[in-house]
Amino acid sequence: MNLEYTIFIDYAPTILLGFWLTLKIVVCAIAMGIPLGLFLALGRRSNFVFLSFLSTSFIEIFRNTPFIIQVFLFYYVLPFYGLRLSAEYVGILALAAFGSAYFAEIIRAGIDAVPKGQLESARAIGMTDWQSMKNIILPQTLSIVIPPLTNQTLTLIKESAILSTITVHELTMTGLMVQGETFRPFEVFIMVALLYWALNETIATIMRRFEKNINKNRNTGPTNNSSAILKQNENTR
Amino acid sequence: MKFDISYIIDALPRLFEGALITLQVAILGFCLSLILATTITIARTSLNSKIFNTIIAFYISFIRGTPLLVQIFLIYYVLPVFGLNLGPFSSGIIAITLNSAAFVTEILRGGLASVPNGQFEAAKSLGVSGVALWRKIILPQTFIASIPPLVNEFTMVLKATALLSVITVVELMRVSQQIYSANYHPVEVLSATFVIYFLMCFVVSRSSAILENKLKVKRA
Amino acid sequence: MTLNFLELKGLHKKFGDITALNNVSLNVSKGEVIFIIGPSGCGKSTLLRAVNWLTPPDKGEVWLEGDIVGSLSSKLTIEESKLLNSFRAKMGMVFQQFNVWPHLNALENVVRAQMVVAKRNKAESEVKALKILDEVGLSDKINEWPDNLSGGQKQRLAIARSLAMDPILMLLDEPTSALDPELVGEVLSVLRRLVNNGMTMLIVTHELGFASKFGDRIVFMDGGEIIEEGIPEKILKTPKTQRLKMFLEKLNITSFKQ
Repeated sequence: MNLEYTIFIDYAPTILLGFWLTLKIVVCAIAMGIPLGLFLALGRRSNFVFLSFLSTSFIEIFRNTPFIIQVFLFYYVLPFYGLRLSAEYVGILALAAFGSAYFAEIIRAGIDAVPKGQLESARAIGMTDWQSMKNIILPQTLSIVIPPLTNQTLTLIKESAILSTITVHELTMTGLMVQGETFRPFEVFIMVALLYWALNETIATIMRRFEKNINKNRNTGPTNNSSAILKQNENTR
Repeated sequence: MKFDISYIIDALPRLFEGALITLQVAILGFCLSLILATTITIARTSLNSKIFNTIIAFYISFIRGTPLLVQIFLIYYVLPVFGLNLGPFSSGIIAITLNSAAFVTEILRGGLASVPNGQFEAAKSLGVSGVALWRKIILPQTFIASIPPLVNEFTMVLKATALLSVITVVELMRVSQQIYSANYHPVEVLSATFVIYFLMCFVVSRSSAILENKLKVKRA
Repeated sequence: MTLNFLELKGLHKKFGDITALNNVSLNVSKGEVIFIIGPSGCGKSTLLRAVNWLTPPDKGEVWLEGDIVGSLSSKLTIEESKLLNSFRAKMGMVFQQFNVWPHLNALENVVRAQMVVAKRNKAESEVKALKILDEVGLSDKINEWPDNLSGGQKQRLAIARSLAMDPILMLLDEPTSALDPELVGEVLSVLRRLVNNGMTMLIVTHELGFASKFGDRIVFMDGGEIIEEGIPEKILKTPKTQRLKMFLEKLNITSFKQ
């Protein structure tokens, strides 16, 4: 088999356009997913039984179903209830919801890793629950949750490929379209795969540096459990 | 349009058939992946070859760095170019196996690391070596140490099989799509499918959590 | 009025089958320094933590300056929790394990609660923090991270953090138990200054020497109850009950061995 090098050049603009949309979608999904994940994590720990039940159900449901069916459900259910959005927006919402369930568990584990005395000392000095969280607990979870959050971000990049099934023109979709025009699957999918791979490796490298920096410049409290949490999450696709 | 439960009831028998196929595909893929990953693990430890280890590291990095969906397309569309016409089912199984094996190899590495070095030495000093060393002494300990993450990995495979619908493997997701493209009630059919997937994955991951607790107690 | 500065009335607390507090009542007048002693698991820490409702009792009341602290209902209303937080701000608490905040440097440890709870502005909080850090002997450590401080320095930082809130009462839960012996002195000298300044204090401790010297009263607890209380002289020299006698003997033997 001969490699058709011209495909790499001729279709680079198309493919890169898809790559750009993948980036945008993932960034939006993270921007929505992390706050939602934080809300779910606090909700799950909350004393309000109803809120805790809802958060737990949301988390367990989204963690225990394939992303592809979540995407299809969003795609068909939203219009069913009168919410008509473009495929891109449906994709972002689905990816954010999926991600938030995993973000929530990471944040929850991070909060649990902060020694109990930290919350007690904050409460004893007169801080409210939320003030203690914001001033004392969450800042200390930061260094613990960054590695697994990075991992989860890489997972979201990979999962975003599934949005091609609802015709979002992201990287994988453009790959499929170019393959349909050229009938050169090998060149096309290798190009697509390499772009995903490069993006993943770049982010992983940057975050490793960043992590080293925080640990060097600041004392960020407990780190003893972080490796365990990291392990728990490194297995997501 | 209203949510009409009768469409769910009509679809259930076929969905259950699809779920059975999903389970079969997942079990088959997972078993093959276990075999492949075990082979890699043994080869990596006993060959001690730099080239082999580099290739494996490259393979694991590629699998972990790219979407499973793209891996599936690569195998489904590229193998025929090399004259291998396997059809969707076999291509799908190969893709799932290659993907999962990368993760299982990583899990087994962790499990192997928990086997004390003394075990190798003790066995060798007793004259146990080669196949017997691995089969009787090292592998059993590696697998026992790896049970919780392996069960977790199985739920990953279970969820991953849904992607095979994209290359027309008729598993649960595909069956569901076939049904709603005939009756035009995607919301009802997809909801039922969603619940079935949830029940399958939830049962497996719950049992893994229980198993993990039991193992912890035993070790303590 | 002075007699009713702090009143604990009939406190009960159970953890499962274990009774940590069994009908404990205690009156503390302003400026009084009370040491609480007793074998481990006797409920002395629980008593201290009940005062600021960190461990809410199952039954009983705590009154501070004629106002009732906390409510027994498991779900506090917004009003009740606001009130409770204002009480807690008035009661400084010092923990055995220091519980300084590792993500904030020494100065920020003392500044943060002033800004968040007492709503002081940054400049005002910092001026106050610097003054108090100087008083506890940490003026050269203001930019240090807690992990770089010794145990004694951490505990002095924790005391400074509480003092910055202008407490009218200090609760100290074994403030020197987690310290290496050579570091105990520096913390005790800070506490001595507090005593001399007339601070009202409840101190759970094993430091009988310190208690006998600076305590107005010593309370001996066992099995969740107050067994004996009185001036240090009386409690330590002429114990009335068998339980207190045994406790003191044991403590003497162990300290002799050390």
